[in-house]
Amino acid sequence: MHLDPSQEKLLRGEGGEANQFAMEIVTKVGDAVGAESLVPIKSAHVLAHYSSLHDAGIDLLERFANSGGKFAVPTSVDPASIDLQNWKSFGIPEEYARQQFRLCDAYARLGGLRCWTCVQYQVCNFPKRDETVAWAESSAVVFANSVIGCRSNKITAGMDVACAILGQTPKFGMLNDENRPATIAFKVALELLSDLDYRSLGFFIGRNAGSRVPALIGLPQEVTSDDIKHLGAAAAAAGPITMIHYLGITPGSGTLGEATGGTKVEEVEVRRADLDEVETDLNQTSERPDLVAFGVPHLSVNELGQLAKMLEGRMLRPGVQMYAYTSSQAFDMAGRAGITSAIEASGARLSQSTDAEISPLKQLGFNVVATNSAKLAEIVSSEGEIKIRYVPMKDIIEEVTN
Amino acid sequence: MSSGTLKGRGLVPGRAEGEAVVSNMAFTFAHGVDPATGNVTDVRSDVKGSEVKGKVLFYPFGKGSTTASAWFLETVRLGNNPVALVTEGVDLSAVIGSVMARLVYGKEIPVISGIQRNIYSAIKSGARVSVDGGAGEVRVSI
Repeated sequence: MHLDPSQEKLLRGEGGEANQFAMEIVTKVGDAVGAESLVPIKSAHVLAHYSSLHDAGIDLLERFANSGGKFAVPTSVDPASIDLQNWKSFGIPEEYARQQFRLCDAYARLGGLRCWTCVQYQVCNFPKRDETVAWAESSAVVFANSVIGCRSNKITAGMDVACAILGQTPKFGMLNDENRPATIAFKVALELLSDLDYRSLGFFIGRNAGSRVPALIGLPQEVTSDDIKHLGAAAAAAGPITMIHYLGITPGSGTLGEATGGTKVEEVEVRRADLDEVETDLNQTSERPDLVAFGVPHLSVNELGQLAKMLEGRMLRPGVQMYAYTSSQAFDMAGRAGITSAIEASGARLSQSTDAEISPLKQLGFNVVATNSAKLAEIVSSEGEIKIRYVPMKDIIEEVTN
Repeated sequence: MSSGTLKGRGLVPGRAEGEAVVSNMAFTFAHGVDPATGNVTDVRSDVKGSEVKGKVLFYPFGKGSTTASAWFLETVRLGNNPVALVTEGVDLSAVIGSVMARLVYGKEIPVISGIQRNIYSAIKSGARVSVDGGAGEVRVSI
C-alpha cells in the first residue's frame, strides 16, 4: 500500500504510540486486501460491548486511551452489554458491569460520541450521500450504503478504533465504484404482511446472495425506514452483505438498469414458500418463552409508540419478561411522550444502551427467547444454549399477555 | 499427502509449528470458539469440539460477526490461541486479531491466505505443520 509522508511518519511512531498502533493495524489490513491507499473518513462507528470484546478488548482500548489516543473524526459508539442506567435492576452481576464500565471509560477518554446505539443513523451520526465513513456494526453499514448512499466497508473490531483515531481507512471493497453495482436481483413475488416478513425477506437475501451485491425489486410503497432497517440487519446477519440496492430508495438506483450499471444479472423471485422456509429454520421451539425481546437492531421512538399501542389494556403473564431494546436518546423521547409508562403498565420494560444479542441472556437465566428479530435468532441459535421462537410481534404479544 | 510445502500469501509474518486442525467450512471465533478453553463451540462447525489451542488452524473463509477479531484476541490473552491461521480467502478478522496480538500481548501468530481448500482434505487433522508467515509457506509432514 502506498503511504504519503505524513502517514509514514505515523507508522514510524512520530505521531505517538496510539497513532502508530492504529497505523500498524490499518496498513496490515490494507495490504491484506490489496488497497492502494488510505483515504479520509467523515465519521466512524465503534463496537463497545463487553460480551464480545472481553477483557482483551479492555486491554486494547485502555492501551489506546492511556497512550493519548483521540478520535480524529466524529465517532459514534455501539451499544454496551448492559443497560448503563438500570443494570442492577436487570440482574447484571457487579463484576460484569465493572468490566463494561472500563470499556465505557476508555471511550470517554478517546472522545467517543457515547450514544450506545446500533442505529446511530437514527440518532446522532448523519452522513450524506457519497461520503466515506468507517463503521462497524453490520446492520448500520447496510443502511449507510443502501439508504443514505454513503460508502462504508464492514469494519472489524479493533480496526474500527484504529480508523477512528487516524480519521482514515484503507480504500477497498465498497469504497471503490466498481464493487458497488448490483450483481444479483431479488424480486418480491408476494404480499409482505407482517413485521416478520421484512426480516425473513432480508434473511433470505443474505443467505442466497453469496458474495454478490443484491438489488431488491418490489418493496411496497408503504415500507418504512424502520422496516428497511430490520430487513438490512437480517440480510447482514445471514451473509456477507454490505449493501442492497432498494430500487426507488437507494440513491442512484431508481431502476434495475441503474442499480446494475446496465449489466444483465440473475433474477431470483422470492415467494411465500421461501419466507416460510426461513421461519421454519429460525424457529427452534414452540415452548413458551421466558423472555420476549424486541429491538435487534434498536427500536426507534416510533416503533416504541407502536409497541405501546399493541400493549394497551394488556398485562404480561407471570413467568415471562418482555424487554424492548432502544437507544438512550429514543428512551428519553419515549419517556417525555408517555410511551415508556404505557409500555411499563403492561409489565414490559424498556432497556436502553444495550441490546439482546450482546447481553448475557444465559447468565441472566433465560432459556427460551421469543423475538421478531432474525438477527437475534441467528446469533443466539448458533451458540446453541438458548432456544429461539421466531414470531411476529403481534402474535407473541397475544400469547404472553392477557 | 506425505510431506510437502504449500505456497500461499503471507499476511502477517511469524513462524509457528503445531498439529493441524482442519475445517472445510466457513469459520468464526465470534460465538464459535470459547476463549476460556480454546474449544470450538459453533454448533454449525465441522470441527465442533476440537481444541485450537497450540494448533495450526485451517479454514477456507471467515464468516459472521465483525467481533471475531476481539474473540480471537481473548483466546490470545488467555493463552488458548492457535499458533497460526491458514485460509483460502482473506479473513480480515484473522489479520486484525493477529496484528493486535503482537501489539497488545507481544505474540506472533502468522496468518497465511491463498491455500486452496481442495487440498484441505489431504491434510489430516493431527498432521504436523510448520508455518512461515513472512514467506507465505506451509510445510506439512506426517
